[in-house]
Amino acid sequence: MRTIRTIFLAPSALAMLLLVAAPMGIVLIYSFLSRGVYGGIEWPLTLENWRRLADPLYLHILARTIALAAAATALCLVLGFPLALFISRAGPRKNLYLYLVILPFWTSFLVRTYAWMFLLRETGVINVVLMGLGLIREPLGMLYTPGAVLVGLVYGHLPFMVLPLYAALERLDRSLLEAAADLGARPWQAALRVLVPLAAPGIRAGSVLVFIPCLGAYLTPDLLGGSKTVMAGNLIQNQFTQARDWPFGSAAALALMAIILTLLVAWVRREKEPLL
Amino acid sequence: MRRMLALYAAGVYLFLHLPLAILALFSFNASRFTVWEGFSLRWYRAALSDRQLIEAAANSLVIGLAATAIATAAGTLGAYALWKRRSRWMAAALHVSLVTPEIVTGISLLAFYQWVFRFGGLRLGMHTVIGAHVAFCLVFVVLVVMARLRTLDPALEEAAMDLGASEWRAFREVTLPWLWPGITAAALLAFTLSFDDYVVTSLVAGVDSETLPMVIYAMAKRGVSPVVNAVSTLIATGLGVLILVSERLRSA
Amino acid sequence: MRRRVFLMSLASAASCRSAPVRLNVFNWSTYIAPETLDHFERETGIRVRYAVYESNEEMLARVLSGNSGWDVVFPSHYCLAPMRRQGLLAPLRHEWLPHLDQLEAEFRKPAWDPELGWCVPYLWGGTGILHHRKLSPAPDSWASMWEARMARRITMLNDPAEVLGAALKKLGYSVNASEEAHLRQAQREALAQKPLLRAYLNAEVLDQVVAGDVVAAQAWSSAAQQAMDESAELRFVYPAEGFPLYADNAVVLRESRRAEAAHRFIDYLLRPEVAALNHRTARSASCIRLPEELKRNCVLYPAAEVLARGEWWTTPPAAVQRLRDRLWTEILSG
Repeated sequence: MRTIRTIFLAPSALAMLLLVAAPMGIVLIYSFLSRGVYGGIEWPLTLENWRRLADPLYLHILARTIALAAAATALCLVLGFPLALFISRAGPRKNLYLYLVILPFWTSFLVRTYAWMFLLRETGVINVVLMGLGLIREPLGMLYTPGAVLVGLVYGHLPFMVLPLYAALERLDRSLLEAAADLGARPWQAALRVLVPLAAPGIRAGSVLVFIPCLGAYLTPDLLGGSKTVMAGNLIQNQFTQARDWPFGSAAALALMAIILTLLVAWVRREKEPLL
Repeated sequence: MRRMLALYAAGVYLFLHLPLAILALFSFNASRFTVWEGFSLRWYRAALSDRQLIEAAANSLVIGLAATAIATAAGTLGAYALWKRRSRWMAAALHVSLVTPEIVTGISLLAFYQWVFRFGGLRLGMHTVIGAHVAFCLVFVVLVVMARLRTLDPALEEAAMDLGASEWRAFREVTLPWLWPGITAAALLAFTLSFDDYVVTSLVAGVDSETLPMVIYAMAKRGVSPVVNAVSTLIATGLGVLILVSERLRSA
Repeated sequence: MRRRVFLMSLASAASCRSAPVRLNVFNWSTYIAPETLDHFERETGIRVRYAVYESNEEMLARVLSGNSGWDVVFPSHYCLAPMRRQGLLAPLRHEWLPHLDQLEAEFRKPAWDPELGWCVPYLWGGTGILHHRKLSPAPDSWASMWEARMARRITMLNDPAEVLGAALKKLGYSVNASEEAHLRQAQREALAQKPLLRAYLNAEVLDQVVAGDVVAAQAWSSAAQQAMDESAELRFVYPAEGFPLYADNAVVLRESRRAEAAHRFIDYLLRPEVAALNHRTARSASCIRLPEELKRNCVLYPAAEVLARGEWWTTPPAAVQRLRDRLWTEILSG
């Protein structure tokens, strides 16, 4: 009974060891080393990188990252809940509507982010249309702002909110809403007091599925934010490329992972049904 | 209320699909700028005659197929093993892999590869990219196959073994046929993730392994060329067709 | 079994594509005439794999590990000493560079490498401000890039030395200032400017300038010339306070196993007719016969008094380099 299972598990276990565990270990070690003058890693062990992270400048980046991720999650929830409700009530065409939500996800994330660059530029479609209609005289500066990054994040992650919400709402007993109506509640009251609490597992799942990837976002703030809306992902990438400061970048990466893993542990503890 | 909901849903669908539609529309624009000047295929011709683009697309394809093959094989077997008996370490490692941001996966693999390469004459190249793609695809394969496995009654395999089949035979003839839809779905997901990846690939790619997303990113950074629109439309359509075909095969 | 055959055939297919002699060249974007590579391949049979970068830092990040796979790269002159100190460069063999005498007189014994034992100057230029004609009054000094009237329609280079250099010049110091107090002052200026900026971009900004999204950009003269070739609305000015001068040089990396092919490529670039193709948008370090209209081009061939305001970059000492890198990370994060 044991042998076949061990053989089957071996490739995955090896992959996890070599490609996930070992790299993280190296990053941990690097976070305590020093940077050479022009880049590279040098020996003196030091806490300097971690001390630098505590600087208000970088804590500010972390705060901005959390704030943008939270805002994106909240927007996805507000935008996605009615949509999930609509799909769950759609009857025979449910699958089609679900498919239409998932379809953008299957196209490239890079392409979808570039689409927003194309729309939001000063000479992009939105400005051209608005100026053509005479609504504005000077083009709106929409690209390279935190707002653009937010739109990009919401656009990229909305499907991840809608699907768990739909799954939770679909299992809902319709008669509960009817009962609320019978007891005199108006539709929006019923929605707020009955639907939302019952859909709570879906809300939690969707929030986690959006919040965590947004914390680690890199492409969206890079392309839509210029080098100005710096999130944790941009800082880490910059340290490993242009700035050539691998030790500091390692410390920053581990700080981000610590936050994410804390959330993960809290999530796993709460949910009774594990993923794996 | 119902009509308002339907109207709202239409609005959200528009939000989801309009950007891509506009992108595709302007890929046929004869002018470089955002003024419509007539229908033209010049950007497609430019894209398809760009040698660097074609090479990058070929690289992406090779990497995608290789990473998908390895990740699907390893992941399917791993999911089966985990389904038979839970392993807390593997589950933990897979969870970590799932939540790790791409940028962290990328830099950790870069650091690991460069550290390993000190002991050999190796350098970054196709193999490092394939390894990196397997790293982040594996957990998704396991998730999808595991979901499929959960719909299988374990009693079926036990029955087969009671009737005299070996463990391997039971797997091959009872479980595996049931798993195929899950395996194909997982492979498709893995391929899409690999083909589309920019962040991890840009960090671990070598001289010979420039991929399509890397080329698109460089062009997108410049901001204006409609060639990016054309390439984007081609990719989106290509992947869309792939999904459609797989859905058809699955329901057939 | 079938899986194994499949994987092996994939691996062999991947390696087959690299069988002919290949030279890997890593250069600045839009820094070579497109025909040059084709002509070189046809003449020598050496296939060139050509990739581009936008900044010295991007190139150094790849090359620093010592196993990047590139054979020929083009660092700016102030990066040469650090690269030599890190042991990244291979010494040049002059017997493989017969056209070395084609270099202009001032580049035969450049300050950064008098013997030309490590590098061959390629193209050079200065940094200035590329702007739209309709801007009035037109920007003419670094201080104009701090004006609020152009807010969010201007960009600066994504280069620590250049941004700090512009701020230093605005304050009246040299671009090569090494005192911490001056550099920190420059950093404060850069941080004050940041809200006005659209982004930090190198040559990527050209299309946006041509399209009109950006009205003024800190730009290198070669990039500016290309933008001006595309649009008649653009002008380029060398700021009044002074500006930095740079020269990009071809070097062979020590890790390269194709030293001879690398030398042949560099030598090919030195040939007058090849350099002539490149000089249309950048100032070549090789001798070329100048067509009349180029002699009057004030971007690539500024008047003597303008050029006198230019200052060549020098390689900063290690401590200053560290400080600059740290200040830059703080500017980007702020």
